[in-house]
Amino acid sequence: MAEFAAVSGVDDLREGEMRAFDVHGTEIAVANVGGEFLAFDDTCTHMGCSLAEGDLEESTVICPCHGSEFDVRSGEVLQGPAREPVETYETRVEGNNLEVEG
Amino acid sequence: MTETFVIVGAGLAGGGAAATLREEGFDGRVVLIGAESQPPYERPPLSKEYLRGEFPFEQTLVQPPDFYGENDIETRFSARVTRVDAAGKAIELDNAESVSYEALLLATGARNRRFPIPGLDLKGIYDLRTVADSDQIRAESSPGQRAVVVGMGFIGSEVAASLRQSGVEVAVVDRNTVPLRRVLGEEVGRVVEGFHRDHGTELIFEDKVAAFEGTERVERVIAQRGRVIECDFAVVGLGVEPVTELLASTGVEIGNGVLVDEYCRTSVEGIFAAGDVANHYHPVFERHIRVEHWQNALKQGPAAALNMLGENEPYSEIPWFWSDQYEHNIQYAGFHTEWDELVVRGTMEERNFIAFYRKDGRVLAAVAINRGRDLRRSIPLIKAQEEISASELSDPEVDLRTLAGMQEIHR
Repeated sequence: MAEFAAVSGVDDLREGEMRAFDVHGTEIAVANVGGEFLAFDDTCTHMGCSLAEGDLEESTVICPCHGSEFDVRSGEVLQGPAREPVETYETRVEGNNLEVEG
Repeated sequence: MTETFVIVGAGLAGGGAAATLREEGFDGRVVLIGAESQPPYERPPLSKEYLRGEFPFEQTLVQPPDFYGENDIETRFSARVTRVDAAGKAIELDNAESVSYEALLLATGARNRRFPIPGLDLKGIYDLRTVADSDQIRAESSPGQRAVVVGMGFIGSEVAASLRQSGVEVAVVDRNTVPLRRVLGEEVGRVVEGFHRDHGTELIFEDKVAAFEGTERVERVIAQRGRVIECDFAVVGLGVEPVTELLASTGVEIGNGVLVDEYCRTSVEGIFAAGDVANHYHPVFERHIRVEHWQNALKQGPAAALNMLGENEPYSEIPWFWSDQYEHNIQYAGFHTEWDELVVRGTMEERNFIAFYRKDGRVLAAVAINRGRDLRRSIPLIKAQEEISASELSDPEVDLRTLAGMQEIHR
């Protein structure tokens, strides 16, 4: 059974925006894609840049440093230089809070 | 009859083209020929992570080694093409093998320029193009060793940074006033100079190497203005030249590389070119440009493959590259050779800015230092080639994504 942690401050995350949160010591990015909250590792698998500092185009996150692109639903690499996918995490809404697996 | 497509050059462009042919369902023969012993690999890490020993060679491979066999791509590595017979549509290899082709892709890349500097043949003087070159430099890069880096273009600047990060004492010699001046200009180059100064690299500008001296190995570098720099090894990075000789007597037009149209086609039917060697007509900039960067090799190889298959896919990617030096990320997009105004958003002092090279009101190119998001957002406005006001470009409150496509363009 996955454990979920509440993430505060997601309320003002508008559609098309994303932000990184510290979830039990791991930087996890949360993206608002069409009203749905999707969570993934904020750290790019290529050189470790923060993906939340990059751009979100629909459900594709683009690393600000070297342009690697990942699908934020599956974590898969859509465009290098990254080789490895990013981890993705389940999210759920509990009451007024967003919770992220982790 | 089975068609045969031959790809000469097994780097990122050639390897990508071979993979694309199979992805697109081409069921003829694909023959991929490379001078190096390794399957296609990516070169950007060779002056950075790989040189510093931070990641293994396998991580630079374009495809896993089994990929080519599994996809019925015939490879000839450690092999050289000695002749292209354009009339007879065949190539000859240095092992005397001859291969007839229906389409030929030249993706031979570039080679480092060598200048006739006295002492250049001493041991311990390297240049950097291949993984073998990077291995040799890395083997010398122990803490406390002293290196001279000649030339502060991108390769020289990155090598200098990586050597410093590996604990090597580094002095650089460059004929310009700042690093990367030819591409980025004085102001931006000055910022990059600061990175190197901060990290204790000795910078000798407006000077050239007169000679390398030593008995068997290089022991010192003599600069033209009199400086004598003692060293244990040296790395020369004075630019590259496209490898075009193979096409010399084929009738293919050559001019700063192999001239191709926006479909990667040369002037001879059935012969294509892509990557560093290709001087391609760019529909956005309305001129031929030759690009020596990763993204161009990554995208143009597959574009050429599509056109070998008759798809008529114009290649119009906006050139883009990055350079990591120490903790700083530099990115450039577009193409410019001159500009009349440099418009800056952010601050150069804080090393967090994007600078737009603007000419006649249009943004030709942009460079960002530690501001990659803005660089990415500038690509559509470079592509649009519209007039954009300097005040909007420089105002950090204006979202760059809103600036492109403001005018109707008819092309």
